[in-house]
Amino acid sequence: MRRHLKRLFTGLMLLLMVPVAAAAMESADCLACHAEAGVVGADRLIDPTRFDNASHGVLGCSGCHASVTDAHPDDGLPASKAVCQDCHQNIGAEYAATGHAGNADCGDCHNPHTVRPSQEVSGAEMNGKCSSCHPAAEMASAHGVWLPQANLHLEMLPCISCHSGSENYVIVLYPSWRDPVSAPDGSARNNPLSLAGYAELKGLAGEQEISALIDVNGDGLITLAELKTFNAFPAYSSLRLKGMLTPEVVTHDLRILDNRWDCTFCHASGSGAMQTSVLALPMADGSYSRLPVEKGAILDALYGTPDFYMLGATRNASMNLLGLAIIAGGLVMPLGHGLLRFLTRKNRK
Amino acid sequence: MNAHKPELKRVYLQPTPVRIWHWLNAFGIITLGISGAQIRFPEFISLFGSYKSAIMLHNTAGILVAVSFSFWFLYYTCIAHKMTHLYVPSKDDLKRGLVRQAMYYFFNYFRGGSNPHHPTPDSKFNPLQKSAYLLIMFILMPLVGLTGILLMNVAPLRDLVLLVGGLKILVGLHFLLSCALFAFLFTHVYLATLGRTPMAYVKPMWTGWEEEEAEGEGAEHQPSH
Repeated sequence: MRRHLKRLFTGLMLLLMVPVAAAAMESADCLACHAEAGVVGADRLIDPTRFDNASHGVLGCSGCHASVTDAHPDDGLPASKAVCQDCHQNIGAEYAATGHAGNADCGDCHNPHTVRPSQEVSGAEMNGKCSSCHPAAEMASAHGVWLPQANLHLEMLPCISCHSGSENYVIVLYPSWRDPVSAPDGSARNNPLSLAGYAELKGLAGEQEISALIDVNGDGLITLAELKTFNAFPAYSSLRLKGMLTPEVVTHDLRILDNRWDCTFCHASGSGAMQTSVLALPMADGSYSRLPVEKGAILDALYGTPDFYMLGATRNASMNLLGLAIIAGGLVMPLGHGLLRFLTRKNRK
Repeated sequence: MNAHKPELKRVYLQPTPVRIWHWLNAFGIITLGISGAQIRFPEFISLFGSYKSAIMLHNTAGILVAVSFSFWFLYYTCIAHKMTHLYVPSKDDLKRGLVRQAMYYFFNYFRGGSNPHHPTPDSKFNPLQKSAYLLIMFILMPLVGLTGILLMNVAPLRDLVLLVGGLKILVGLHFLLSCALFAFLFTHVYLATLGRTPMAYVKPMWTGWEEEEAEGEGAEHQPSH
Protein backbone atom coordinates (compact mmCIF):
# COMPACT_ATOMS: atom_id res chain seq x y z
CA MET A 1 0.00 0.00 0.00
CA ARG A 2 2.81 2.36 0.96
CA ARG A 3 4.56 1.52 -2.37
CA HIS A 4 1.36 2.25 -4.30
CA LEU A 5 1.01 5.61 -2.58
CA LYS A 6 4.63 6.47 -3.42
CA ARG A 7 4.03 5.60 -7.10
CA LEU A 8 0.84 7.69 -7.15
CA PHE A 9 2.66 10.68 -5.60
CA THR A 10 5.49 10.43 -8.12
CA GLY A 11 2.98 10.22 -10.99
CA LEU A 12 1.09 13.28 -9.76
CA MET A 13 4.34 15.23 -9.41
CA LEU A 14 5.29 14.32 -12.98
CA LEU A 15 1.88 15.41 -14.25
CA LEU A 16 2.30 18.76 -12.50
CA MET A 17 5.85 19.23 -13.72
CA VAL A 18 5.14 18.60 -17.40
CA PRO A 19 3.10 21.77 -18.05
CA VAL A 20 5.52 23.86 -15.98
CA ALA A 21 8.38 22.78 -18.24
CA ALA A 22 6.27 23.14 -21.43
CA ALA A 23 5.08 26.71 -20.57
CA ALA A 24 8.59 27.86 -21.25
CA MET A 25 7.79 27.86 -24.96
CA GLU A 26 8.83 31.32 -26.11
CA SER A 27 7.04 33.52 -28.65
CA ALA A 28 10.13 33.23 -30.82
CA ASP A 29 9.61 29.48 -30.95
CA CYS A 30 5.97 29.94 -31.93
CA LEU A 31 6.86 32.47 -34.62
CA ALA A 32 9.55 30.19 -36.05
CA CYS A 33 6.63 28.33 -37.63
CA HIS A 34 3.76 30.83 -37.51
CA ALA A 35 5.65 33.46 -39.49
CA GLU A 36 5.93 31.01 -42.40
CA ALA A 37 2.82 30.68 -44.53
CA GLY A 38 4.27 27.55 -46.10
CA VAL A 39 4.44 25.84 -42.71
CA VAL A 40 1.20 26.87 -40.99
CA GLY A 41 -0.97 28.11 -43.85
CA ALA A 42 -2.38 31.58 -44.41
CA ASP A 43 -5.03 31.27 -41.68
CA ARG A 44 -2.50 30.81 -38.88
CA LEU A 45 0.12 33.17 -40.25
CA ILE A 46 1.39 35.88 -37.88
CA ASP A 47 3.40 38.93 -38.96
CA PRO A 48 6.15 39.03 -36.27
CA THR A 49 6.80 42.77 -36.63
CA ARG A 50 3.14 43.71 -36.41
CA PHE A 51 2.61 41.34 -33.47
CA ASP A 52 5.63 42.75 -31.62
CA ASN A 53 4.25 46.27 -32.04
CA ALA A 54 0.65 45.32 -31.34
CA SER A 55 -0.96 46.07 -27.97
CA HIS A 56 -0.93 42.34 -27.19
CA GLY A 57 2.70 41.85 -28.21
CA VAL A 58 3.89 42.43 -24.66
CA LEU A 59 1.87 39.39 -23.49
CA GLY A 60 3.68 37.04 -25.85
CA CYS A 61 1.92 34.11 -27.53
CA SER A 62 1.43 32.25 -24.28
CA GLY A 63 -0.46 35.20 -22.81
CA CYS A 64 -3.52 34.10 -24.75
CA HIS A 65 -2.59 30.55 -25.84
CA ALA A 66 -1.61 29.18 -22.43
CA SER A 67 -2.21 25.53 -23.23
CA VAL A 68 0.42 25.38 -25.96
CA THR A 69 3.41 23.33 -24.91
CA ASP A 70 6.74 22.45 -26.42
CA ALA A 71 4.97 19.34 -27.67
CA HIS A 72 2.80 21.51 -29.95
CA PRO A 73 1.74 20.62 -32.59
CA ASP A 74 2.85 16.98 -32.23
CA ASP A 75 0.62 16.51 -29.21
CA GLY A 76 -2.37 17.01 -31.49
CA LEU A 77 -4.04 19.25 -28.95
CA PRO A 78 -5.75 22.41 -30.20
CA ALA A 79 -4.24 25.64 -28.88
CA SER A 80 -6.37 27.27 -26.22
CA LYS A 81 -7.53 30.83 -26.82
CA ALA A 82 -8.08 33.40 -24.10
CA VAL A 83 -11.49 35.03 -23.94
CA CYS A 84 -11.21 38.77 -24.63
CA GLN A 85 -13.49 39.60 -21.70
CA ASP A 86 -10.98 37.98 -19.30
CA CYS A 87 -8.99 41.21 -19.59
CA HIS A 88 -11.51 43.58 -21.17
CA GLN A 89 -14.49 43.02 -18.88
CA ASN A 90 -15.92 46.54 -19.09
CA ILE A 91 -15.62 46.80 -22.86
CA GLY A 92 -17.14 43.33 -23.17
CA ALA A 93 -20.12 44.29 -21.03
CA GLU A 94 -20.58 47.56 -22.91
CA TYR A 95 -20.47 45.78 -26.27
CA ALA A 96 -22.71 42.91 -25.14
CA ALA A 97 -25.53 45.40 -24.59
CA THR A 98 -25.47 46.53 -28.24
CA GLY A 99 -27.25 45.12 -31.25
CA HIS A 100 -23.89 44.25 -32.77
CA ALA A 101 -23.06 41.69 -30.07
CA GLY A 102 -24.97 38.84 -31.65
CA ASN A 103 -23.63 39.58 -35.12
CA ALA A 104 -19.91 40.19 -34.69
CA ASP A 105 -17.40 38.92 -32.14
CA CYS A 106 -14.46 40.97 -30.91
CA GLY A 107 -12.18 39.22 -33.39
CA ASP A 108 -14.38 40.18 -36.33
CA CYS A 109 -13.31 43.79 -35.88
CA HIS A 110 -10.03 43.49 -33.91
CA ASN A 111 -7.32 41.11 -35.01
CA PRO A 112 -5.69 40.30 -31.63
CA HIS A 113 -2.30 39.83 -33.35
CA THR A 114 -2.24 43.33 -34.85
CA VAL A 115 -4.62 45.36 -32.68
CA ARG A 116 -3.41 48.78 -31.55
CA PRO A 117 -4.79 51.71 -29.59
CA SER A 118 -7.21 53.80 -31.65
CA GLN A 119 -4.71 56.68 -31.78
CA GLU A 120 -2.33 54.47 -33.74
CA VAL A 121 -4.90 53.45 -36.33
CA SER A 122 -6.03 55.54 -39.29
CA GLY A 123 -9.66 56.61 -39.53
CA ALA A 124 -9.82 54.85 -42.90
CA GLU A 125 -8.70 51.60 -41.25
CA MET A 126 -11.34 52.01 -38.53
CA ASN A 127 -14.00 52.41 -41.19
CA GLY A 128 -12.59 49.41 -43.04
CA LYS A 129 -13.75 47.24 -40.11
CA CYS A 130 -17.28 48.58 -40.40
CA SER A 131 -17.43 48.32 -44.17
CA SER A 132 -16.62 44.61 -44.11
CA CYS A 133 -20.28 44.16 -43.02
CA HIS A 134 -21.69 47.56 -44.07
CA PRO A 135 -20.49 48.21 -47.64
CA ALA A 136 -19.40 51.82 -48.16
CA ALA A 137 -21.58 52.40 -51.24
CA GLU A 138 -24.65 51.06 -49.44
CA MET A 139 -23.93 53.26 -46.44
CA ALA A 140 -23.42 56.35 -48.60
CA SER A 141 -26.80 55.79 -50.20
CA ALA A 142 -28.51 55.05 -46.84
CA HIS A 143 -27.03 58.20 -45.25
CA GLY A 144 -27.74 60.23 -48.40
CA VAL A 145 -31.47 60.00 -47.64
CA TRP A 146 -31.08 62.56 -44.87
CA LEU A 147 -27.44 63.68 -44.73
CA PRO A 148 -26.28 66.37 -47.19
CA GLN A 149 -23.05 65.38 -48.97
CA ALA A 150 -23.16 61.91 -47.41
CA ASN A 151 -20.10 60.75 -49.37
CA LEU A 152 -18.04 63.59 -47.99
CA HIS A 153 -19.19 62.97 -44.43
CA LEU A 154 -18.40 59.26 -44.60
CA GLU A 155 -14.99 60.08 -45.99
CA MET A 156 -14.15 62.64 -43.30
CA LEU A 157 -15.49 60.78 -40.26
CA PRO A 158 -14.84 57.45 -38.63
CA CYS A 159 -18.24 55.71 -38.28
CA ILE A 160 -17.78 55.59 -34.50
CA SER A 161 -17.77 59.40 -34.36
CA CYS A 162 -21.56 59.26 -34.69
CA HIS A 163 -22.38 55.62 -33.95
CA SER A 164 -20.91 55.37 -30.46
CA GLY A 165 -20.64 57.49 -27.36
CA SER A 166 -16.98 58.16 -28.13
CA GLU A 167 -15.72 61.51 -26.90
CA ASN A 168 -13.04 64.19 -27.14
CA TYR A 169 -12.93 64.86 -30.85
CA VAL A 170 -9.77 66.07 -32.52
CA ILE A 171 -8.97 66.71 -36.15
CA VAL A 172 -6.45 64.17 -37.36
CA LEU A 173 -4.46 65.07 -40.45
CA TYR A 174 -3.26 62.16 -42.59
CA PRO A 175 -0.89 62.64 -45.51
CA SER A 176 -2.61 61.53 -48.69
CA TRP A 177 -1.16 61.56 -52.14
CA ARG A 178 -1.66 60.89 -55.80
CA ASP A 179 0.27 57.82 -56.84
CA PRO A 180 2.50 59.01 -59.69
CA VAL A 181 3.52 55.54 -60.79
CA SER A 182 0.16 54.13 -61.71
CA ALA A 183 -0.83 57.00 -64.00
CA PRO A 184 -0.71 55.78 -67.61
CA ASP A 185 0.95 58.97 -68.84
CA GLY A 186 3.34 59.16 -65.90
CA SER A 187 1.53 62.20 -64.56
CA ALA A 188 0.49 62.30 -60.94
CA ARG A 189 -2.42 64.65 -61.50
CA ASN A 190 -5.09 62.27 -62.65
CA ASN A 191 -4.87 59.73 -59.87
CA PRO A 192 -7.33 59.91 -57.02
CA LEU A 193 -6.01 60.88 -53.62
CA SER A 194 -5.36 57.99 -51.25
CA LEU A 195 -3.65 57.70 -47.88
CA ALA A 196 0.12 57.80 -48.31
CA GLY A 197 1.95 54.83 -46.80
CA TYR A 198 5.31 54.79 -45.03
CA ALA A 199 7.22 53.74 -48.15
CA GLU A 200 5.87 56.61 -50.25
CA LEU A 201 6.69 59.21 -47.59
CA LYS A 202 10.10 57.69 -46.90
CA GLY A 203 10.82 57.95 -50.62
CA LEU A 204 10.23 61.70 -50.39
CA ALA A 205 12.03 62.14 -47.06
CA GLY A 206 15.16 60.25 -48.17
CA GLU A 207 17.65 59.84 -45.32
CA GLN A 208 15.52 61.84 -42.89
CA GLU A 209 12.65 60.64 -40.74
CA ILE A 210 9.34 61.09 -42.54
CA SER A 211 8.21 63.54 -39.87
CA ALA A 212 10.89 65.92 -41.24
CA LEU A 213 8.68 66.39 -44.32
CA ILE A 214 6.51 68.66 -42.18
CA ASP A 215 8.25 69.08 -38.82
CA VAL A 216 11.10 71.04 -40.34
CA ASN A 217 12.80 72.02 -37.06
CA GLY A 218 12.33 68.54 -35.58
CA ASP A 219 10.88 69.78 -32.29
CA GLY A 220 7.97 67.33 -32.39
CA LEU A 221 5.37 70.11 -32.74
CA ILE A 222 3.81 71.02 -36.08
CA THR A 223 3.41 74.79 -36.24
CA LEU A 224 1.13 76.72 -38.56
CA ALA A 225 4.22 78.07 -40.32
CA GLU A 226 5.46 74.51 -40.94
CA LEU A 227 2.04 73.51 -42.28
CA LYS A 228 2.06 76.45 -44.66
CA THR A 229 5.58 75.63 -45.84
CA PHE A 230 4.64 72.01 -46.41
CA ASN A 231 1.45 72.90 -48.30
CA ALA A 232 3.27 75.36 -50.55
CA PHE A 233 6.44 73.31 -51.17
CA PRO A 234 6.52 72.40 -54.89
CA ALA A 235 8.32 69.06 -54.34
CA TYR A 236 5.39 67.87 -52.20
CA SER A 237 2.72 68.92 -54.68
CA SER A 238 1.47 65.33 -54.90
CA LEU A 239 0.84 65.30 -51.12
CA ARG A 240 -2.26 66.74 -49.45
CA LEU A 241 -3.19 66.58 -45.77
CA LYS A 242 -6.55 64.92 -45.34
CA GLY A 243 -8.42 65.75 -42.13
CA MET A 244 -10.80 63.50 -40.21
CA LEU A 245 -12.78 64.31 -37.07
CA THR A 246 -11.84 61.45 -34.76
CA PRO A 247 -12.69 60.69 -31.13
CA GLU A 248 -9.78 60.31 -28.71
CA VAL A 249 -11.79 58.26 -26.23
CA VAL A 250 -13.36 55.34 -28.06
CA THR A 251 -16.27 53.43 -26.60
CA HIS A 252 -17.97 50.22 -27.73
CA ASP A 253 -21.58 51.24 -27.08
CA LEU A 254 -22.41 51.08 -30.76
CA ARG A 255 -25.67 52.94 -31.28
CA ILE A 256 -27.07 56.00 -32.97
CA LEU A 257 -26.94 58.94 -30.59
CA ASP A 258 -29.83 61.37 -30.81
CA ASN A 259 -27.64 64.46 -30.71
CA ARG A 260 -25.76 63.31 -33.83
CA TRP A 261 -28.89 64.06 -35.91
CA ASP A 262 -28.30 67.68 -35.01
CA CYS A 263 -25.70 69.00 -37.44
CA THR A 264 -24.54 71.62 -34.95
CA PHE A 265 -23.08 68.81 -32.82
CA CYS A 266 -20.09 69.22 -35.17
CA HIS A 267 -20.98 72.30 -37.22
CA ALA A 268 -20.86 74.92 -34.50
CA SER A 269 -18.05 77.16 -33.49
CA GLY A 270 -16.60 77.47 -30.05
CA SER A 271 -15.91 73.81 -29.39
CA GLY A 272 -12.38 73.24 -28.18
CA ALA A 273 -12.14 70.16 -30.38
CA MET A 274 -12.28 72.26 -33.51
CA GLN A 275 -9.01 73.89 -32.57
CA THR A 276 -7.15 70.75 -31.61
CA SER A 277 -5.50 68.83 -34.36
CA VAL A 278 -2.75 66.26 -34.70
CA LEU A 279 -0.68 64.99 -37.58
CA ALA A 280 -0.77 61.21 -37.97
CA LEU A 281 2.17 59.72 -39.85
CA PRO A 282 2.30 56.11 -41.06
CA MET A 283 5.07 53.98 -39.55
CA ALA A 284 6.96 51.11 -41.13
CA ASP A 285 4.93 48.57 -39.12
CA GLY A 286 1.60 49.86 -40.47
CA SER A 287 0.69 51.82 -37.35
CA TYR A 288 0.35 55.59 -37.10
CA SER A 289 2.40 57.91 -34.94
CA ARG A 290 0.97 61.27 -33.91
CA LEU A 291 2.55 64.70 -33.62
CA PRO A 292 0.65 67.57 -32.00
CA VAL A 293 -0.27 70.52 -34.22
CA GLU A 294 -0.22 74.12 -33.00
CA LYS A 295 -3.53 75.01 -31.36
CA GLY A 296 -5.90 76.78 -33.72
CA ALA A 297 -3.86 76.06 -36.87
CA ILE A 298 -6.94 74.42 -38.31
CA LEU A 299 -8.71 77.80 -38.26
CA ASP A 300 -6.17 79.47 -40.55
CA ALA A 301 -7.97 81.27 -43.38
CA LEU A 302 -6.41 79.56 -46.37
CA TYR A 303 -3.11 77.72 -46.16
CA GLY A 304 -2.78 75.85 -42.85
CA THR A 305 -5.02 72.97 -43.84
CA PRO A 306 -6.27 73.91 -47.32
CA ASP A 307 -8.38 70.77 -47.69
CA PHE A 308 -10.01 70.71 -44.28
CA TYR A 309 -12.94 73.00 -43.56
CA MET A 310 -16.00 72.35 -41.44
CA LEU A 311 -18.94 74.63 -42.13
CA GLY A 312 -19.82 76.74 -39.12
CA ALA A 313 -16.93 75.35 -37.10
CA THR A 314 -13.56 76.20 -38.60
CA ARG A 315 -14.31 79.68 -39.88
CA ASN A 316 -11.59 82.29 -39.69
CA ALA A 317 -12.09 85.47 -37.64
CA SER A 318 -10.06 87.72 -39.99
CA MET A 319 -12.08 86.47 -42.95
CA ASN A 320 -15.28 87.37 -41.06
CA LEU A 321 -13.97 90.90 -40.46
CA LEU A 322 -13.00 91.27 -44.11
CA GLY A 323 -16.48 90.16 -45.15
CA LEU A 324 -18.03 92.60 -42.71
CA ALA A 325 -15.84 95.42 -44.07
CA ILE A 326 -16.98 94.61 -47.64
CA ILE A 327 -20.65 94.66 -46.63
CA ALA A 328 -20.11 97.86 -44.63
CA GLY A 329 -18.45 99.33 -47.74
CA GLY A 330 -21.72 98.76 -49.56
CA LEU A 331 -23.50 100.92 -46.99
CA VAL A 332 -21.21 103.90 -47.52
CA MET A 333 -22.96 105.05 -50.69
CA PRO A 334 -26.55 104.72 -49.38
CA LEU A 335 -25.72 106.36 -46.06
CA GLY A 336 -23.48 109.16 -47.40
CA HIS A 337 -25.60 109.93 -50.45
CA GLY A 338 -28.78 109.53 -48.41
CA LEU A 339 -27.61 112.08 -45.88
CA LEU A 340 -26.74 114.64 -48.57
CA ARG A 341 -30.02 113.84 -50.30
CA PHE A 342 -31.90 114.63 -47.11
CA LEU A 343 -29.99 117.86 -46.52
CA THR A 344 -30.55 119.08 -50.09
CA ARG A 345 -34.16 117.91 -50.44
CA LYS A 346 -35.44 121.50 -50.96
CA ASN A 347 -33.46 121.80 -54.20
CA ARG A 348 -35.55 119.06 -55.80
CA LYS A 349 -39.01 120.46 -55.00
CA MET B 1 -53.93 115.84 -64.79
CA ASN B 2 -52.74 118.57 -62.47
CA ALA B 3 -51.51 121.56 -64.48
CA HIS B 4 -48.43 121.99 -62.27
CA LYS B 5 -47.34 118.46 -62.70
CA PRO B 6 -45.14 117.71 -65.70
CA GLU B 7 -46.60 115.52 -68.41
CA LEU B 8 -45.57 111.91 -68.12
CA LYS B 9 -44.84 109.45 -70.86
CA ARG B 10 -45.04 105.73 -70.30
CA VAL B 11 -42.32 103.39 -71.50
CA TYR B 12 -42.59 99.61 -71.45
CA LEU B 13 -39.17 98.99 -69.95
CA GLN B 14 -39.15 95.60 -68.29
CA PRO B 15 -40.61 92.66 -70.28
CA THR B 16 -42.35 89.91 -68.27
CA PRO B 17 -39.50 87.33 -68.35
CA VAL B 18 -37.09 89.94 -67.02
CA ARG B 19 -39.45 90.88 -64.19
CA ILE B 20 -39.99 87.25 -63.20
CA TRP B 21 -36.25 86.72 -63.31
CA HIS B 22 -35.58 89.83 -61.24
CA TRP B 23 -37.92 88.90 -58.39
CA LEU B 24 -36.84 85.27 -58.40
CA ASN B 25 -33.31 86.56 -58.06
CA ALA B 26 -34.26 89.06 -55.38
CA PHE B 27 -36.00 86.53 -53.12
CA GLY B 28 -33.42 83.86 -53.95
CA ILE B 29 -30.43 86.05 -53.15
CA ILE B 30 -31.92 87.39 -49.91
CA THR B 31 -32.73 83.81 -48.85
CA LEU B 32 -29.19 82.78 -49.78
CA GLY B 33 -27.74 85.61 -47.73
CA ILE B 34 -29.69 84.87 -44.57
CA SER B 35 -29.37 81.07 -44.79
CA GLY B 36 -25.67 81.52 -45.65
CA ALA B 37 -25.23 83.64 -42.53
CA GLN B 38 -26.88 80.88 -40.46
CA ILE B 39 -24.58 78.27 -42.03
CA ARG B 40 -21.49 80.32 -41.18
CA PHE B 41 -22.65 81.53 -37.77
CA PRO B 42 -24.94 78.76 -36.48
CA GLU B 43 -24.53 79.73 -32.83
CA PHE B 44 -25.83 83.26 -33.49
CA ILE B 45 -28.45 82.80 -36.23
CA SER B 46 -31.21 80.20 -36.31
CA LEU B 47 -33.82 81.94 -38.44
CA PHE B 48 -34.49 78.90 -40.60
CA GLY B 49 -34.63 76.38 -37.78
CA SER B 50 -32.17 73.53 -37.78
CA TYR B 51 -28.75 73.71 -39.40
CA LYS B 52 -29.83 71.09 -41.90
CA SER B 53 -32.89 73.17 -42.90
CA ALA B 54 -30.60 76.14 -43.51
CA ILE B 55 -28.30 73.99 -45.66
CA MET B 56 -31.20 72.54 -47.67
CA LEU B 57 -32.75 75.99 -48.16
CA HIS B 58 -29.38 77.49 -49.14
CA ASN B 59 -28.80 74.70 -51.67
CA THR B 60 -32.32 74.99 -53.11
CA ALA B 61 -32.18 78.78 -53.37
CA GLY B 62 -28.70 78.48 -54.89
CA ILE B 63 -29.93 76.11 -57.60
CA LEU B 64 -32.95 78.36 -58.24
CA VAL B 65 -30.78 81.46 -58.67
CA ALA B 66 -28.28 79.56 -60.83
CA VAL B 67 -31.06 78.29 -63.12
CA SER B 68 -32.65 81.75 -63.15
CA PHE B 69 -29.25 83.24 -64.06
CA SER B 70 -28.92 80.76 -66.93
CA PHE B 71 -32.38 81.71 -68.23
CA TRP B 72 -31.47 85.40 -68.01
CA PHE B 73 -28.28 84.75 -69.94
CA LEU B 74 -30.05 82.71 -72.61
CA TYR B 75 -32.93 85.19 -72.88
CA TYR B 76 -30.73 88.22 -73.47
CA THR B 77 -28.15 86.53 -75.68
CA CYS B 78 -30.26 84.11 -77.75
CA ILE B 79 -33.80 85.56 -77.73
CA ALA B 80 -33.57 89.30 -77.15
CA HIS B 81 -30.05 89.59 -78.68
CA LYS B 82 -29.39 92.59 -76.47
CA MET B 83 -26.79 91.35 -74.02
CA THR B 84 -23.83 93.32 -75.37
CA HIS B 85 -25.89 96.39 -76.16
CA LEU B 86 -27.46 96.57 -72.72
CA TYR B 87 -24.60 95.53 -70.48
CA VAL B 88 -21.33 96.51 -72.18
CA PRO B 89 -20.47 100.22 -71.93
CA SER B 90 -19.92 101.85 -75.34
CA LYS B 91 -16.87 103.92 -76.23
CA ASP B 92 -18.92 107.05 -75.65
CA ASP B 93 -20.09 105.71 -72.27
CA LEU B 94 -16.49 105.28 -71.21
CA LYS B 95 -15.31 108.63 -72.59
CA ARG B 96 -18.14 110.90 -71.43
CA GLY B 97 -21.06 108.91 -70.08
CA LEU B 98 -19.41 107.65 -66.90
CA VAL B 99 -18.26 111.11 -65.83
CA ARG B 100 -21.58 112.71 -66.80
CA GLN B 101 -23.55 110.13 -64.80
CA ALA B 102 -21.21 110.33 -61.81
CA MET B 103 -21.48 114.14 -61.89
CA TYR B 104 -25.26 113.80 -61.78
CA TYR B 105 -25.32 111.33 -58.87
CA PHE B 106 -22.72 113.06 -56.76
CA PHE B 107 -23.28 116.73 -57.65
CA ASN B 108 -26.16 117.75 -59.90
CA TYR B 109 -28.67 115.52 -58.15
CA PHE B 110 -28.23 117.52 -54.95
CA ARG B 111 -28.69 120.78 -56.88
CA GLY B 112 -32.00 119.55 -58.29
CA GLY B 113 -30.65 118.73 -61.78
CA SER B 114 -32.23 116.08 -63.98
CA ASN B 115 -30.88 112.65 -64.79
CA PRO B 116 -28.88 112.81 -68.05
CA HIS B 117 -29.92 109.25 -68.89
CA HIS B 118 -33.44 108.50 -70.09
CA PRO B 119 -34.05 104.78 -70.11
CA THR B 120 -35.51 103.14 -73.20
CA PRO B 121 -35.99 99.43 -73.79
CA ASP B 122 -32.83 99.44 -75.89
CA SER B 123 -30.82 101.48 -73.42
CA LYS B 124 -32.17 100.64 -70.01
CA PHE B 125 -29.01 101.33 -68.07
CA ASN B 126 -26.96 104.46 -67.67
CA PRO B 127 -23.17 104.14 -68.19
CA LEU B 128 -22.52 103.69 -64.47
CA GLN B 129 -25.22 101.03 -64.22
CA LYS B 130 -23.81 99.23 -67.25
CA SER B 131 -20.34 99.12 -65.71
CA ALA B 132 -21.65 97.97 -62.34
CA TYR B 133 -23.93 95.30 -63.83
CA LEU B 134 -21.13 94.11 -66.09
CA LEU B 135 -19.05 93.42 -63.01
CA ILE B 136 -21.95 91.96 -61.03
CA MET B 137 -23.59 89.82 -63.68
CA PHE B 138 -20.54 88.64 -65.60
CA ILE B 139 -18.02 88.23 -62.79
CA LEU B 140 -19.53 88.21 -59.29
CA MET B 141 -22.71 86.21 -59.90
CA PRO B 142 -21.05 83.47 -62.00
CA LEU B 143 -18.17 83.16 -59.52
CA VAL B 144 -20.45 82.95 -56.47
CA GLY B 145 -22.61 80.41 -58.34
CA LEU B 146 -19.71 78.26 -59.53
CA THR B 147 -17.98 78.22 -56.13
CA GLY B 148 -21.36 77.33 -54.61
CA ILE B 149 -21.87 74.44 -57.03
CA LEU B 150 -18.40 73.12 -56.15
CA LEU B 151 -19.14 73.45 -52.42
CA MET B 152 -22.37 71.49 -52.87
CA ASN B 153 -20.45 68.64 -54.49
CA VAL B 154 -17.08 68.50 -52.78
CA ALA B 155 -16.57 64.73 -52.98
CA PRO B 156 -17.58 64.17 -56.63
CA LEU B 157 -15.85 67.36 -57.83
CA ARG B 158 -12.76 67.05 -55.60
CA ASP B 159 -10.33 67.43 -58.50
CA LEU B 160 -11.87 70.76 -59.42
CA VAL B 161 -11.80 71.82 -55.76
CA LEU B 162 -8.09 71.01 -55.65
CA LEU B 163 -7.58 72.89 -58.92
CA VAL B 164 -8.97 76.03 -57.26
CA GLY B 165 -6.44 75.52 -54.46
CA GLY B 166 -8.41 73.56 -51.89
CA LEU B 167 -11.59 73.72 -49.88
CA LYS B 168 -10.54 76.71 -47.79
CA ILE B 169 -9.76 78.93 -50.77
CA LEU B 170 -13.08 77.88 -52.28
CA VAL B 171 -15.02 78.68 -49.09
CA GLY B 172 -13.13 81.98 -48.69
CA LEU B 173 -13.92 82.99 -52.29
CA HIS B 174 -17.59 82.04 -51.94
CA PHE B 175 -17.91 83.98 -48.68
CA LEU B 176 -16.10 87.16 -49.75
CA LEU B 177 -17.72 87.30 -53.20
CA SER B 178 -21.13 86.84 -51.56
CA CYS B 179 -20.32 89.71 -49.19
CA ALA B 180 -19.42 91.83 -52.23
CA LEU B 181 -22.74 90.90 -53.82
CA PHE B 182 -24.55 92.01 -50.69
CA ALA B 183 -22.55 95.22 -50.55
CA PHE B 184 -23.83 95.91 -54.07
CA LEU B 185 -27.37 95.03 -52.99
CA PHE B 186 -27.53 97.95 -50.54
CA THR B 187 -26.40 100.39 -53.23
CA HIS B 188 -28.77 98.77 -55.74
CA VAL B 189 -31.80 99.19 -53.47
CA TYR B 190 -30.82 102.73 -52.54
CA LEU B 191 -30.31 103.81 -56.17
CA ALA B 192 -33.70 102.34 -57.00
CA THR B 193 -35.23 105.06 -54.82
CA LEU B 194 -33.55 107.94 -56.70
CA GLY B 195 -36.26 108.26 -59.34
CA ARG B 196 -38.86 111.00 -59.79
CA THR B 197 -40.54 109.50 -56.73
CA PRO B 198 -38.97 106.91 -54.40
CA MET B 199 -41.01 104.16 -56.08
CA ALA B 200 -40.65 105.42 -59.64
CA TYR B 201 -37.87 102.97 -60.49
CA VAL B 202 -39.29 100.12 -58.40
CA LYS B 203 -42.74 100.11 -60.03
CA PRO B 204 -41.53 99.25 -63.56
CA MET B 205 -39.91 96.12 -62.19
CA TRP B 206 -43.39 95.06 -61.05
CA THR B 207 -45.63 96.36 -63.87
CA GLY B 208 -43.13 96.66 -66.71
CA TRP B 209 -44.05 100.31 -67.39
CA GLU B 210 -41.96 103.26 -66.38
CA GLU B 211 -43.37 106.76 -66.22
CA GLU B 212 -40.99 109.57 -66.88
CA GLU B 213 -41.27 113.25 -67.56
CA ALA B 214 -42.02 113.78 -71.26
CA GLU B 215 -39.68 115.98 -73.25
CA GLY B 216 -42.06 117.23 -75.84
CA GLU B 217 -43.44 114.14 -77.54
CA GLY B 218 -45.38 112.71 -74.53
CA ALA B 219 -46.10 109.51 -76.35
CA GLU B 220 -46.75 106.05 -75.02
CA HIS B 221 -44.16 103.68 -76.34
CA GLN B 222 -44.64 99.93 -76.59
CA PRO B 223 -41.49 98.44 -77.99
CA SER B 224 -41.12 95.07 -79.58
CA HIS B 225 -38.58 93.10 -77.53
